Amino acid sequence: MNSTTVLLIVHGLLAVALLGAITHQAVSVWAPTRKPAVSFIGRYRAAPGVSYANAIIVLYLLTFALGGVIYPDFRVEARVVVEQLGEWKPMGAFELKEHFAAVGLALLPAYWYYWRRPLSEDHARTRAALTLLLAFIVWWNFLVGHVINNIRGFGA
Amino acid sequence: MTPPRSFNVFAIAFAVVFAIVYLIAVENNYALFTYHPALGEFGGGVQPAREGPAMYWYGWLATSGIAASVAGVLASLLPESLTRRLWPGWTWIAAAGVMAAFCYLLRNFFLR
Repeated sequence: MNSTTVLLIVHGLLAVALLGAITHQAVSVWAPTRKPAVSFIGRYRAAPGVSYANAIIVLYLLTFALGGVIYPDFRVEARVVVEQLGEWKPMGAFELKEHFAAVGLALLPAYWYYWRRPLSEDHARTRAALTLLLAFIVWWNFLVGHVINNIRGFGA
Repeated sequence: MTPPRSFNVFAIAFAVVFAIVYLIAVENNYALFTYHPALGEFGGGVQPAREGPAMYWYGWLATSGIAASVAGVLASLLPESLTRRLWPGWTWIAAAGVMAAFCYLLRNFFLR
């Protein structure tokens, strides 16, 4: 197993943690529970979203940075094969992944500002929209990365 | 940690300008630098591929990051009377709009 494969696995693990955190926060914002939670779903919805914000920012930055580190190996070793296989839809989805990740990165200062304590009710809609958009980006990037890795993972 | 009130203005301007400049940079290839992954070398500006593919993504990020930082700082220096009504919703609207634009620009990947 070479170093790029190790970094790819760490990139994937960070993405899993990010996916869990942003999904938890998005659910708590868009489907909050009003009653005391007793079920698993209820407790999931009742989680305080604000407690995830800093972790999400750190995880996003780490996942993004690590993705940037292993991207050249993908470009040289894997992308050519994916193109030769004619897998254009996954390739296009990957192109979107890199652009979505960049756009999401630029949202982080605003995301941090609107999620800082104490939460401002004036910014509740902006907070919810930013969270949903980041959740979409994270989910898209996670799934596309997974599909691309299944087509042509490093060392495959 | 309590940021200054002007950070709100910086964050809005940064998000909006980054998204728009990034779209323009990608579409017109305004990369600040080029990376040649097969050689492990960087080069200034947009360079053609050499012994392998050329990567412009890092250069697009740098172009957009610098433009957005400058715009954010300048916007945060504006008097509060001008920025008080700056709508924070522009952050996610600009981002979502640029993401939709990329979907349109890359549609041929999905129509082959």
